[in-house]
Amino acid sequence: MSGNAHNADKRLCAIAIAHEENEFKAVEVRKQGETIEMLWAKSGQDSDTNWLSFAAECGLSIGLTEKDKTDGDKTTVIGFSSAGVAFYNIGLPAAKEDELKSMVRMQAETLLPLPVEQMELTWRKGRVRNGQVAVAVAAARREYLKDFVENVCALNPAKILLDCEGAVKAWKELFGGNEKDAVIVNLTARSTQVCLAEDGYLSNAIILDMGIEDFLEMADNLPDSENEGVPEQTEATERFIFDVKSALEAFDYTEAAKLPIFVLSNGGNTIKGIVAYLKSAGLNVRAALPQIQKMRAQMDFEIEQLYEYRVPIGLALMAIEAPADGFSLFDRLYRPAGVKQKRAILYSPKIAGAIAAVMLAVFVIISYAIDVASPGVIEESLKTTDSSTDINQLMQQQNLTRIVAMERPNLLELIKHISESGDSSIKLESIHFKKGQLVSITGQVQSPDQLYKFQESLMSKSGIKDVKIQNTSRDNKTKNVKFTMTFHYKNFTKKGTRT
Amino acid sequence: MEKLSKKDIRALKIGAIGAAAIIVFVAGSKWIDHWSQARRSLERVKAKLELINVDKAKQAGLMSIVPVIEMPQKEETQTVLFRNKLNEQLKKARINSEPLQVLPGGKTPRAGYKLVRLKCSAKCQLTQVFDFLAGMNENPYLVGIEELRLRCDPQKPQEVEMDLTVSTFVK
Repeated sequence: MSGNAHNADKRLCAIAIAHEENEFKAVEVRKQGETIEMLWAKSGQDSDTNWLSFAAECGLSIGLTEKDKTDGDKTTVIGFSSAGVAFYNIGLPAAKEDELKSMVRMQAETLLPLPVEQMELTWRKGRVRNGQVAVAVAAARREYLKDFVENVCALNPAKILLDCEGAVKAWKELFGGNEKDAVIVNLTARSTQVCLAEDGYLSNAIILDMGIEDFLEMADNLPDSENEGVPEQTEATERFIFDVKSALEAFDYTEAAKLPIFVLSNGGNTIKGIVAYLKSAGLNVRAALPQIQKMRAQMDFEIEQLYEYRVPIGLALMAIEAPADGFSLFDRLYRPAGVKQKRAILYSPKIAGAIAAVMLAVFVIISYAIDVASPGVIEESLKTTDSSTDINQLMQQQNLTRIVAMERPNLLELIKHISESGDSSIKLESIHFKKGQLVSITGQVQSPDQLYKFQESLMSKSGIKDVKIQNTSRDNKTKNVKFTMTFHYKNFTKKGTRT
Repeated sequence: MEKLSKKDIRALKIGAIGAAAIIVFVAGSKWIDHWSQARRSLERVKAKLELINVDKAKQAGLMSIVPVIEMPQKEETQTVLFRNKLNEQLKKARINSEPLQVLPGGKTPRAGYKLVRLKCSAKCQLTQVFDFLAGMNENPYLVGIEELRLRCDPQKPQEVEMDLTVSTFVK
C-alpha cells in the first residue's frame, strides 16, 4: 500500500525523441500520479539537423554526464522507425520461458528473410488459447540497427523503442483507447502504420506507403464528416482500403471482422474522410481523437500539438511507466553507459576469486584432515575386519615370507635340469651346490662330443648360466673322459650371496 | 588525545599486517610440520598395506615356495624346533643320517635375524634324496638350503653320499 502511494506521489520525467519521416520531434513529459504534464515539445527538419544536433537544440547533454548518473527520475528514450522491422505472429505450445525461447528462435529461422545470424529478433508472449501460446516476434536486419545505434548512442538514451509502440501507447493513454484488442491506424505525411494491439500491447504492425499527403489532393472531394454517406472512391482510396484490408488479413486475427479499427485523428477533415472511406468498405472503424483534458501543459498546447507529438509522447509515457514492456530489439546491440550488464554472479572476478579461494581452503583442510585421520582409520578398519589382525605382525610375516622365498633354491628342479640334459651314457659322480659359489658337477663321458652336447643342453635350461667345462682328463682304465663342469644357478651362486 | 595523522594510520596498518603475517607464518609452519608428519605416517601405513596386499598371482608364487613359515624365536628354542622338524623329515624320507650338527651362522644379520645352520650327512638312495628335498618346504623353520653335495659311487649309481647344510632364522 505504502509502495503504491509512494509511486503515485513520485514525479517521473522522460524525454522522448522520434524521427517521423523528415522531421525530428522531441518532448519532455512528466507524470505524477495520473496527471500527465507536457514540459516542452520541439521539432526540427532533418535536412537542417541530425540526432545529435537536434538533441543539443533541445538542450540535452551529449554523452554520459554526472547529472545523468545522478538524475534517476529522468530518462531519455529514442523512437526507432518500425518501417525496417518485420513482425510475425506464431503459435507455439505453452512451455517454460527458456524452452519457448529456443522454440521461437527455431520457428523464426524458417520465417526470416535473412539468415538468423544477420538478424536481431525479439519476442513477446501473448495470451494462451487451446494450449497454444501466441508469440509476437519482431525482427530487423542487424546492420541496420547497428547503424541506428551509432547515430544515437552519444545521446545515451535509456532505451530505444519502436515508434509504433509509442503510437499504441499514445492511443491507450491519450486517445481514449480502452479496447482489449484493436487495430490502430497512425497516419503520417507519406506513410501509415497499421498496428495490431492485443491486451493493449503491440503485437503486429504493417507500414503502408500511403499517407495523408496522398489524400490532400482529393481533400475537396472528401466528405465533411464521416456521417455524410458513402464518399466517392478514387484510385488512391481504393488502394488504401485494399492495403488496410490486406494488413488485417496478414494479422491473421481470428475475429478480424469484429476487430475495432481506430484511426488516430487530429479532428481534421482529411482523417474524417479516410475514416468514412474505410467505413464504407465495411470495416469497424472510427476516429480516435486526442483527449486534451488528460494533459496539462506549461505552454500553449492544443489538440493539434498533442496529435503531432503523439508518438514521442507515447514513447515518453512508456519510458516512465514500463520501458521493459517494449520490444527489446536493441538489447544486444546497445546498453546505456553507466548501466552494467546483468551477469551471472560467477562472472564477477572478485566473487569468482573468492569462491576459488574458499574452495582451495576447503580442499587444503580436507586433504589435511584425510592425511591426519587415514593411518588410524586404516589400522582401526583392519582390526574391525579381524580382531586378531595386527598390521605389524602381518607385515612382519609377509616380509619374512618374501625373504625366505628368496633364500630357497629349488634344488629338486636343479637336479632335474642336470639329469635331463645328459643322455644315459653320461655318468655323474657328484653335484655340489653352495650359495655364493658356482655349482660344480663331476662325471664321465665316453666322448668329448657327448660332453659338448651336455654343456649345450645345460645352457638352454632356464636359471642356468655360464656353463663352463673346467677340467677334462682321460681315464686310462675305462678310456672315458672325466670332466668337471661349473655354472651359475639363478642368483644363488652369484658372488655376494650370503654364505 | 591528539588525532592520528594519515601517516600514523598507515604505519599502524602496516604494523598490523606485519604482525598478522608473523602469526600466520608461525602457525602455518607448525601446521605444515604437523601435516608433513601426518603424511609420513600415512606413507608408512600405505607401505605396510602394500606389503600385505600382494598381488594374488605373486602370493600364489610365494606360497608354492614358502607354504608355511613360523616367526623366528630365540636361538635355543628355534634351533631345537628346527632340528626336530628336520630330523622328522629325514625319518619320513627313510634317511639314516649322522647326528645333525649345529654350525655357526653368518655374521651379518638378515632382516633383523641371525642365521643358524644345521649340517646333515647321510648315505642313502637317490630317490630318498628326492623325496626329502620335495618335502623340505613343509618345514616351517627352514629358511634355505645353504649347501648340498651329492656324491655317487660309480659301482652303485643309486646310492649317494649326501652332505646338506640348511639354515633357520633366530631372534
